[in-house]
Amino acid sequence: MQIKYTLQGLLIYLSALFFAATLTVCLTLWAGRKRNRQREVHRDIERLKKGFWFAGFLTAVVSLAWRGLHTGHPPMQNLFEFFLCMAAFLWPLSRLSRWKQGIDTTLCDSFLGLIILIPAGFIFDESVRRLPPALQSPLFVPHVASYVIGYIMLARAALVAAPLFLRLERRRLLLLECASRQITAVGFLLITIGLLLGSLWGKLCWSHYWQWDPKETWSLATWMLYGTYFHLRYRYGLRYPRLLAALLWIGLLFVILTLTWINLSRLFKGMHTYA
Amino acid sequence: MKRFLNIITGPVVAAVFCLLLSGGSIFLAFKGSQSSCVLMSTPPALGFSALVLLLLAVRGVLTLFRRRFDSAILHLGCALVVAGWLWGVVESRRVAAARPDHSAMMNMLHSNGETGKTRAPLSGSMALAEGDVMNSLWEGTYLDQFVGKLDFSVKLDRFAIEYYEGSEHDRMQGRMPPIKEYCSRVIVSEPGKDTFTRDIRVNQPVRIGDYLVYQMSWGQSTNRQNQPVTYTVLKFVRDPGLRIVYAGFTMLFIGIVLFTGKVIRMVPQIEEVDRAD
Repeated sequence: MQIKYTLQGLLIYLSALFFAATLTVCLTLWAGRKRNRQREVHRDIERLKKGFWFAGFLTAVVSLAWRGLHTGHPPMQNLFEFFLCMAAFLWPLSRLSRWKQGIDTTLCDSFLGLIILIPAGFIFDESVRRLPPALQSPLFVPHVASYVIGYIMLARAALVAAPLFLRLERRRLLLLECASRQITAVGFLLITIGLLLGSLWGKLCWSHYWQWDPKETWSLATWMLYGTYFHLRYRYGLRYPRLLAALLWIGLLFVILTLTWINLSRLFKGMHTYA
Repeated sequence: MKRFLNIITGPVVAAVFCLLLSGGSIFLAFKGSQSSCVLMSTPPALGFSALVLLLLAVRGVLTLFRRRFDSAILHLGCALVVAGWLWGVVESRRVAAARPDHSAMMNMLHSNGETGKTRAPLSGSMALAEGDVMNSLWEGTYLDQFVGKLDFSVKLDRFAIEYYEGSEHDRMQGRMPPIKEYCSRVIVSEPGKDTFTRDIRVNQPVRIGDYLVYQMSWGQSTNRQNQPVTYTVLKFVRDPGLRIVYAGFTMLFIGIVLFTGKVIRMVPQIEEVDRAD
């Protein structure tokens, strides 16, 4: 636990503050959802929410860009940079959901942004390292970027699917299940691309496309888990919505473990060890 | 018969297999890279992989007949990846089994010319200092197990380590700046053919004969005159199943794109859904 007294740290805290403000406004709106429908105030609060959310996105992008300029390489080398990337990608994906799926996911996305920025702001080390020879590859950016976006999508899918645990009216159940499945499908596509690009890169760099490295096997486990989800959804449809939601939450747990425990623990020594 | 195949390759069995493989992967993550590699080339693991391959292939063909192309391409792609991997592992086991005993290997190492009747090894490394010439491949932590000979010999012309421009901080502390690149320049000569020169860098393997040659490692040691020398470690790998695996990757990618396209175009199956709920 350390506070970063640098411009980088300031940008991270500012962006976390904006995400927290967005979250607060979202929760206020949610708490008063029955009363607010008729009021003029509602529109102003809605506007405030959008403003905070966009400001959070802007500061996250500026903090990522600053990191990139400061280090002189694409900011995707270690966990600190990975988490900054995730925070910067949230707003566009949230807009995409609004635009393509017609659902408002600002509540869960701003929550996710806050959760992501806490380790980036207080735990991970921000010291700069030059890219070692192994990371200098044209596959570096696509491999990491597809995992960044893929993991965010899978996390969002779990959050969107959370109400499936409750008793819902039929229409809302269908809507949420469909939305979470679509988000999961895009996330699954991206982690597949990440896995394949990682394999190709492994062949170029480590001489084999599959080394049974702990991080590789955990990624495969995550991939297989989402495979289970799609097979069960295909077979049973909406008969067990809680099972589907539970699988998405276990998937999120796997993603969190892959990102943190596997990277940081000495239990899993492998080639994917970062600072 | 078809009904039976439909059930044993159906989504429920597939879900169970996915869960099993997921759990198995986590188990292997705890075992670590090297022991997982050994474990996965034992006959039971290979047999299980062959079963998975069979189920995937049958399911792929069945769905192809039903014209569900996304699912068919996806499953056949997975089958190809497993098949290519299996071929590579089985081949390396066969090469290891055909390897003669220790004394015969030593004779082979010290004889000139003919590599004998043994198969060329699938992988092996050599450590070279500048000016060294070598045509044998080695294994083990200290590269002390001889695994076979190459048809060509490799001479290390030059091994260069390129550094980043050092920062002021590094210079004050008397530290070397971080390493930017390793490069081994080798001269390859094969009897009856022209010699040629190649630069081998990290992330840029070079094809020599059947092998891809990698810049794997480096180190410092002393020679017979007790002078310090820097050596480079080059790894030679050939994988007969690689093309099949890559074909599988391509199909898997196409299949998953089609599948995702299908899922994101779906809408909830009720009328008059207020989408901006």
